[in-house]
Amino acid sequence: MADVRLEGITKRFGSLTVIPDLHLTVPDGSFTVLVGPSGCGKSTLLRIISGLENPSSGRIAIGGKDVTKTEPSQRGISMVFQSYALYPHMTVAQNIDFGLRLAKTPTVEREARVAEAARILALDDYLDRKPAQLSGGQRQRVAIGRSIVRKPEVFLFDEPLSNLDAALRTQMRVELAQLHQSIDATMIYVTHDQVEAMTLADRIVVMNKGRIEQVGAPMDLYDRPETVFVAGFIGSPKMNFVKGAAIGHEEAETVGFRPEHVTVSDGGEGFEAHTKVVETLGADTIAYVEADRLGELTVRLPGHIRLKAGETLRLAPQDEYLHFFDQNGQRMEVSR
Amino acid sequence: MASLDAARSSEPLSLRLRRGLGNGRVTAVLILLPPALILFTLFVILPLSESGYYAFFNWNGYGSPTDYVGVENFERIVGHSIFQTAVGNTLKIVLISLFIQMPLALVLALLIYRKTPTNAVFRLIFFVPYILAEVAAGLIWSFVFDGNYGVSASIAAAIGSEPYFLLADRDWAFVAVMTVIVWKYFGFHMMIYIAALQGVPEDLIEAARIEGASRTQIVRYVQVPQIKPALIVSAFFAIIGALQVFDIIIPLTNGGPSNQTHTIVTYLYTFGLTRLNIGFGSAVGVILFIAAVTVAVFYQRFFMKRGAVA
Amino acid sequence: MSRAQLIRNIARVAFLCLVASFVLAPMLATVLGGFKTNAEIRTGALALPETWNLEFYASIAEDPMFWRYLLNSLLISIGCVLLTLFVGAAAAYVFAQIRFFGSRMLFSYLLLGLMFPFATAILPLFIKVRDLGLLDTYWAVILPQTAFGLSLAILLFRTFFEQLPKDLFEAAYLDGCGYVRFFFRFTLPLSTPILATVGVFVFVQSWNNFLLPLVVLNSREAFTWPLGMMQFRGEYVTQWNRTLAFVTLSILPAIVFFLAAQKYIVAGLTGGAVKG
Repeated sequence: MADVRLEGITKRFGSLTVIPDLHLTVPDGSFTVLVGPSGCGKSTLLRIISGLENPSSGRIAIGGKDVTKTEPSQRGISMVFQSYALYPHMTVAQNIDFGLRLAKTPTVEREARVAEAARILALDDYLDRKPAQLSGGQRQRVAIGRSIVRKPEVFLFDEPLSNLDAALRTQMRVELAQLHQSIDATMIYVTHDQVEAMTLADRIVVMNKGRIEQVGAPMDLYDRPETVFVAGFIGSPKMNFVKGAAIGHEEAETVGFRPEHVTVSDGGEGFEAHTKVVETLGADTIAYVEADRLGELTVRLPGHIRLKAGETLRLAPQDEYLHFFDQNGQRMEVSR
Repeated sequence: MASLDAARSSEPLSLRLRRGLGNGRVTAVLILLPPALILFTLFVILPLSESGYYAFFNWNGYGSPTDYVGVENFERIVGHSIFQTAVGNTLKIVLISLFIQMPLALVLALLIYRKTPTNAVFRLIFFVPYILAEVAAGLIWSFVFDGNYGVSASIAAAIGSEPYFLLADRDWAFVAVMTVIVWKYFGFHMMIYIAALQGVPEDLIEAARIEGASRTQIVRYVQVPQIKPALIVSAFFAIIGALQVFDIIIPLTNGGPSNQTHTIVTYLYTFGLTRLNIGFGSAVGVILFIAAVTVAVFYQRFFMKRGAVA
Repeated sequence: MSRAQLIRNIARVAFLCLVASFVLAPMLATVLGGFKTNAEIRTGALALPETWNLEFYASIAEDPMFWRYLLNSLLISIGCVLLTLFVGAAAAYVFAQIRFFGSRMLFSYLLLGLMFPFATAILPLFIKVRDLGLLDTYWAVILPQTAFGLSLAILLFRTFFEQLPKDLFEAAYLDGCGYVRFFFRFTLPLSTPILATVGVFVFVQSWNNFLLPLVVLNSREAFTWPLGMMQFRGEYVTQWNRTLAFVTLSILPAIVFFLAAQKYIVAGLTGGAVKG
């Protein structure tokens, strides 16, 4: 087990700078999720940690040791790929075993470790199969098994669930969380899906255009987003943004409030809105509405409310849940 | 970092070496690439360059070439009537390929491209000549054309005419040669078209049918345009192939009668190698090279948008 | 089926049969000719033999030189295939997997072989093979033949290798697998379709090659079967039945091979050569 420290990492592809000067410490034993839209540099960062890419400048330390120039296989890391990258011509057992063989691990120990990984991941019955004969979830487990047996100090995951269907994804998410609890290693996980980030992480790193927007625990990001970008990226449905002036907060450039922090008011305060589309999800009702001067908004209302498109509502954002941002998109405190 | 380096250099040399060999990109390049480079340079590029050098000498292949003759070899070749015939013959093969062989292959491909058992049998039959060695094909047909013994002898006997020796006829011998060429290669072109036709989406054809296109209109406006790349490539093979015809001629006519059926390569072989005129033959090789490269470059420039072969 | 369709279909099959007979008749005459006396060939080249004489076929099958020719061809062809697959795949792997200074240039250099036919360099090749002391050896054919086949092989291999998932290499690399080992443990085993395609292509080319062996092999001991066949034809000019039996027996392996490995052969000789 080890922490990962990135100091002054930059990455350029030709004249294109993908990551300008990035600093990040991933604490020992944490489950850290790098999240951001595609092209934000999160996968590149993961590949730099793994050693598949070299940084243009900067240093990487794993467990206090500088590994910037170390071969990937010597870094004490393992990686699960989006495509799983299972070796198609090898059986499940050979896939899991391959790295150990290359490391010249003694046979007895290899067998023991493969058996243990198979047990943890419930792969015992599939050890002699080829990857092509496995289902998506089983392939995913083999990929994880290949990671586990090497007993790495740091696990790297590159969007490992994005090739699975929705049901399986939920299930694998639970399994990954359990895995982290049982082996207690440092895990760095890349995804573009903020739901995955919120559910898996104990620390989230939100990235945008090669920079870190905010680092924090999932609920910190939800409660106190430091930038407009984070505010818009974390939480689903997305936060609503309006001009500060439009709702009486001239001091702020932008004011944000989450769809779930809007109440239907009986009169007086708030604003009129026309519902355009209504999605009834059972527990919740999501309404897409249009309000004068505010434009299109999304609100999340209790499931028992009966709404139809075309109705007019009076809506009021809850005052204590307003988020204020200045013209640079940075969070600002406003006295109310 | 320093400590890591120190740790590494304290490892035994053999271990460090092995790791270098195991992971090294450089090592991989140095191990895996040179065999191809050496083989290719030694047996393709070097001989080719030497052709360009020997072509300016009068040389029988022994000792080293000393008798520099300038472009005399080229002048002699270009002025040689047999060479002119050979070039003419090569052009004839190109024309026959483009205007008889390819249309025949296309018609057959359109008739049998669909995957049915009968079609598979016909496909197989039509492709068989292509896998036969050229020499065997030439020999088989020299039997067919043999006025004393062959199939033409039997036909002559059946209709009661005199034995006729097609391959000994100055005017008709090359027609016989071209028949064999069509027989041998149409199946190859047909297979290229079949592969391409099978790649044309069926719904394109169905859409055209629904819009009221007739069968010939579908061929004309849907299928042929769709397989244009295959037509272009097959024409390229036909032209490059025509430049290389050799094996078939040797058993059929060996260039005769009276040197009427030479191609560029049989000319090179007969007047360069068998007489050990290495300089002269090399000059023919250079001309052949220029022709082939011209065709390839021209073709790439005008027909092949995406990097197909050559 | 409507009447018009039926007529069209009959016309179609009739035309196909006509072409098929144009293709098959000479081959049929050849096979049958081996069973006939010369007198019989003369009168009925396409007819079935009155008596099926096995002696001509038998005499060829008993001729050790016949087997010698086939063996020479076989060994040379196998040598070409192995060398091409190995040398070509190794080079293509470097081009597909490793970016290094000059790689594009070297790649273009190796593809020059696609531009011109064998025959252009045949005379210097003869001199070179002679000066290397290789005349009348298998290497005299194998080395130049392989060298000339390399360009196409490398092109096809590289295209295929580049389509192998990149993740696979990265996963193996993280496992501690180096470039050279990856080539042997992953690239080669995962590329059997293209290896088979190119292998078949090279085999057929080499098996049928005539010009190169003609130039570099002078002793009968070293002859490949096309040379042996021409030699035989020269010795038995007036005995077509023997020659035809010889031709039949020597093209038989090719036909059997074709029927057995049709899929790869057609891919190797057409599709494989067209793609790239």
